[in-house]
Amino acid sequence: MREMMLIIIGAVLVNNIVLSQFLGICPFLGVSKKLKSALGMGMAVTFVMTLASALTWLIQRYVLEKMQIEYLQTIAFILVIASLVQFVEMVIRKTSPDLYKSLGVYLPLITTNCAVLGVAIINIQKSYTFAQTLTNSIANALGFTLALILFAGIRERLEDANVPKCFEGMPIALITAALMSIAFLGFTGLQ
Amino acid sequence: MNLGKEFSKGILSENPLFRLTLGMCPSLAITTSVFNGLGMGIAFTVVLLASNIVISLLRKIIPDSIRIPCYIVIIATFVTMIEMLMHAFTPELFESLGIFIPLIVVNCIILGRAEAFANKNSLAPSIMDALGMGLGYTLALLVVSTFREILGAGTFLGYAIFGQSALIMILPPGAFITLGCVLAFLNKIQNRTKHSVNS
Amino acid sequence: MRKVLKLSLFLLIVASIAGFSISYVNGITDPLIEQQNAEKKQSSFNDVYPGADDVKDESKKYITNDSDEVVKEVNIAYKSNIPVGVIYTVKPNGYNGKIEMLVGFDINSKKITAIKILSQSETPGLGANSKESFFSDRFKGLNAESSIEIVKKESVQDNEVLAITAATITSKAVASGVNVARQHFISNFAK
Repeated sequence: MREMMLIIIGAVLVNNIVLSQFLGICPFLGVSKKLKSALGMGMAVTFVMTLASALTWLIQRYVLEKMQIEYLQTIAFILVIASLVQFVEMVIRKTSPDLYKSLGVYLPLITTNCAVLGVAIINIQKSYTFAQTLTNSIANALGFTLALILFAGIRERLEDANVPKCFEGMPIALITAALMSIAFLGFTGLQ
Repeated sequence: MNLGKEFSKGILSENPLFRLTLGMCPSLAITTSVFNGLGMGIAFTVVLLASNIVISLLRKIIPDSIRIPCYIVIIATFVTMIEMLMHAFTPELFESLGIFIPLIVVNCIILGRAEAFANKNSLAPSIMDALGMGLGYTLALLVVSTFREILGAGTFLGYAIFGQSALIMILPPGAFITLGCVLAFLNKIQNRTKHSVNS
Repeated sequence: MRKVLKLSLFLLIVASIAGFSISYVNGITDPLIEQQNAEKKQSSFNDVYPGADDVKDESKKYITNDSDEVVKEVNIAYKSNIPVGVIYTVKPNGYNGKIEMLVGFDINSKKITAIKILSQSETPGLGANSKESFFSDRFKGLNAESSIEIVKKESVQDNEVLAITAATITSKAVASGVNVARQHFISNFAK
């Protein structure tokens, strides 16, 4: 139990997937302008990341290692993720058209979200058990969502602020992210 | 089609990192040293070149409805090969770049160029596009990593320059700050040229 | 239906060509990687226990607990067929993942000959400096009979090692790896 707590705190705060490990930057900077879309994206990523990590872990153990073709890891994992996203897209379109509309183009973009592939690979690198993999993925996805929501909140305020012309848009977003990253650095003491 | 233009656009006007703001994950993560930036830039360019060539050659054969999965398989193949070759021939670089080598496969630039360019253009322009984008991305990585290495570790390519250093530059915040400032600087230049053109 | 079959077949062909090409490259690079690893290993052994004629892997004989998390390998260094040193490969938990390191002991003097960090993923500029000689040299010549402690003050006692500034956790992790190896050494070789 204590180990699970360590994994969770590690993933959400200490080694936050976006602010310390730099995975998932593109959607982080692209989607986070509005709080609502940030939340939607966070939930979608949580779902895909957890499922993808579970599937890729199983494939690593029962296919790649059994047949000693570990070097096919990259190609196998990305295909799993791409198919999963496709599948999730179809399911959401049928079951909840509203959700599908609000997520819009962001859903297929989760395929190229380096955070999903990144976490899948990290789970294997750290030799996690299946349970630890699930915990780690959900925790990382929560960390991603947390960063996204915090960021969106700040950016919504920034819209009304007085920003130097050349910093408008992406640059000020990055500086904001830098400040958030410094704040999260403070969490290293938690270890 | 002007081949020279296809090449040069990737370096300045459509620089993938600075103008199109794509491929940011590795640019923030591995730019802790110029050596890393250079290594990643080259690996990236090789994969982009290989995949642009193959996809351009096969563009009339690949069925439209499954083109994305096909591109992904092709890109992943080259990424895996580069991974193996780097492990065998450049082990230190392989270790420093770590997880970001397999992550080249989800670098939005490569899939982006395949979708936006290689599948609509013939071989020669696709090659030029890949080389231009690759060079542009590498240069961008070098700019960021130069700042971070000199300010953060006081070295350049491992050679000591300053005695003191601001450690924060090699830590995560430093990455965001550097990229933010560089983009702001480029914006300023662009705004100034816009103004001088208008007046 | 026919269309789906045709598309699937196409994808299958592409995937197969991909798979074969990767296997081909793997065939070329794998032996090179193996050879590199073997050479690196021998040279690391020499760094940690210089002057041995031969180093034999006797992990099977000395690692009784299969699920030992930390002690990974036990190599015996021989001079003219007499065992003179023991080189341990240990993998303690660092701040950011496992640290793989070698710890060398001299059987006669019961001292630590040297340590060497093989791989780590600690913070660059801080914990990552654990692989530098200024830190690993601090372990040279320490007596293996008592536990090695990490201290933060400059003046050190006989069995104390000065931590890396601002990287106490990493320093302690390295020390814990040394201590695990030390205990195994004392109980197996220093009777």
